Amino acid sequence: MSSHREAPEISKDPVADSTDVYAFVSPDQPDTVTLIANYIPLQGPAGGPNFYSFGPDVLYEIHIDVNGDGRPDITYQFRFSTRLRDPDTFLYNTGPVTSLDSPNWNSRQFYSVTRVEYGKSEVLGSVLACPPCNIGPLSTPDYATLASAAVHAVTGGIKVFAGQRAEGFYVDLGAVFDLADLRPFEQLHAQYGLDAFTKAASGVNATAHLNVHSIAIQVPMSQVLPRARHGQPGDRGSVIGIWTTASRQKARVWDSGDDRYVYSGPWQQVSRLGNPLFNELLVGLGSKDLWNTLPPADDKRFADRVAHPELAALLPALYPGVFPNLEALVKSGTARADLEAILLTGIPSGIITGFQNYTGPTQSDVLRLNTAIPPSKVPSQLGLLGGDLAGYPNGRRVFDDVVTIELRAIAGVTVPLVDKSFTPDGAASAVTDGLTAASVPSGYLDSFPYLGVPYSGFTTPSS
Amino acid sequence: MPSSHTDSSPEPAVSPERPPRVSRRSVLRGAAGAGAVGLAVAGGAAAVTGFTRQDQPAAPDAAPAVAGAGPVLVYLRDTATGEMDVFAGTGQTRLRNPALVRELLRAIN
Repeated sequence: MSSHREAPEISKDPVADSTDVYAFVSPDQPDTVTLIANYIPLQGPAGGPNFYSFGPDVLYEIHIDVNGDGRPDITYQFRFSTRLRDPDTFLYNTGPVTSLDSPNWNSRQFYSVTRVEYGKSEVLGSVLACPPCNIGPLSTPDYATLASAAVHAVTGGIKVFAGQRAEGFYVDLGAVFDLADLRPFEQLHAQYGLDAFTKAASGVNATAHLNVHSIAIQVPMSQVLPRARHGQPGDRGSVIGIWTTASRQKARVWDSGDDRYVYSGPWQQVSRLGNPLFNELLVGLGSKDLWNTLPPADDKRFADRVAHPELAALLPALYPGVFPNLEALVKSGTARADLEAILLTGIPSGIITGFQNYTGPTQSDVLRLNTAIPPSKVPSQLGLLGGDLAGYPNGRRVFDDVVTIELRAIAGVTVPLVDKSFTPDGAASAVTDGLTAASVPSGYLDSFPYLGVPYSGFTTPSS
Repeated sequence: MPSSHTDSSPEPAVSPERPPRVSRRSVLRGAAGAGAVGLAVAGGAAAVTGFTRQDQPAAPDAAPAVAGAGPVLVYLRDTATGEMDVFAGTGQTRLRNPALVRELLRAIN
C-alpha cells in the first residue's frame, strides 16, 4: 500500500502509522496549498464500540522543507486529547449525534495546532473538535453536515480538519501482494507453474469501504513559500517539499495503578511518509523500521534502492517476455537516474516543458510541489505521465493514481527523460493494477478536506 | 523528523503546565519522588561517578519537558557498567553509576 502497515514495527502501532500524504494547490482556493496526512489504516467502519481515534500520546506533524536540505523549515504539529462525558457507559454515543457539542456524544476528541518555523512556535488553534466516526443512520444521521462543522478556521487564515474520512487511495492489495499479480495482465504472469490464471481480470480495490483518519490543513500560499524568488514555475523557490511524521515518547510503561500506559522521555519518530510507496516498495524489510526514524535528509543511504529498484528486476522475471527492454536495462546495472530525480531530488528544468520540481542535490524522499503550477481544469489521474503538470509527482492530489504512475515509472516509461536512447517496453505504458479514481465508492469532495465522507458502520459492516 | 523546538500548546489535556527544562538536578529530584527507583537514584546520587547529558534528539515537545510533572522511567542499559537512561518529561539523561545499579539489582534479586 502507499504506506499502510509498510514496516514491521509500525504495523503494530496503527494509531501512529502514516498511510498517505497529499499536497496540492487547492483547486477551489488556488492562493492556498492543502496538505493532508492520513493515519490509522484499513479501518472497518463498523469497528465499535471503541471507534477509531487519534493517539493522545502521539505527536503528529506535517513538515515543509523550503530550502531543499531535507529538513523541516516549517512544521504544523497536531496534538489530540480524548474526553469522556460518561465513563460509566460502554456506549460511544447515547443518542443521535447531530452537532459537535451533542450531549449524546460520549467519547470526543479535541486537538491543538501549532506552527513551528525555524524553532519559533505559535499555537494556531486549540480545543478544536474532531467529528465522530460515521456510525449509522441512528447515531450520525447527517454525517456530511456534522463533519463539515469540524472544518475550523484558525489563526492566519488557515483551515484545519482532523477526523475520519473515506480511504481515497485505491490499490489492488490482494493481487499485488500475491507475488505481484496484476489482474489485467495476470495471464502473462509466470505463475510458478500453478496455472492459476488463464485470462485477464478486472482490478479489485481492496481499500474500498475502508476508512482512515485524516489531518488536513489548508494554508495561504504566502505562509509556506521561502524568501527565495518564487511565483513562476521555473523559480526554485516555488518548490516546497512535504512529508509527515508521527513520534512517540521513548519510554513507556503500564501503570497498573491507573490502568493505562504512561510515557516519558524525548520524542522518537516512529513513522514517516513523503512519496507514496517509497518505504513500502523500495526499502528492504530489514531497513524499513530504521527508515521510519530518519529525516529525509538521510535518504542518501537509500539512494541505491531507488537507483536499482527490486521491483524493476521482478517485473521481467514474473512476466516473462513482457518487459525485455527493462530486463536488459536491469542487467546492464544502469542506475535509474529517472527514479532518483522523481523521488529524491525532483525533476530539474529542461526535461519536461514548462515544469520542474527540483529542490537541489540533497537526496530526500519528500513530496515536491511546484506551487506556481496552477490546478488543472481537466486533471489526469496519471499526473505528469498523463500530461497533467499539476498531478503526481508534482505534489499529490487525492485522486492521483499513484500505483499506476509508480508501476509505469519503475517499468521504464520515465527512463527516456534521462536517456533518449532507451525505448520503453510497450507494456510499460500499459501496466496497471486495473483501478481508477472511480474505484473509490465514496468519491471525493470538491472542497476542503477533499477526501470523501467516511463509510458508515451500518451500511458497511466489517464482516 | 521532529524538529528542534518546543511547543507551548495550551491544550490542557495534552499539554499540562510546562515547568523549566530538565536538568541533572531536576532529574534526580524527580526520580526521588518516583518510588523505589527514585529512592535508589537519590540514595546513590552522591556516588554518581559521571554522567553525560545526551544530545537532545530533534524534538518538538508538547509534553512536559521536566521531571516531576510526569513519570520518571529508568532504563538500565548495561548492568555491568552501570549505564542507565533516565527519562523524565521530554528529557533523557544518561548516567553511569555502578554502585547504584548494584544496589538496585540487590533489591530486586
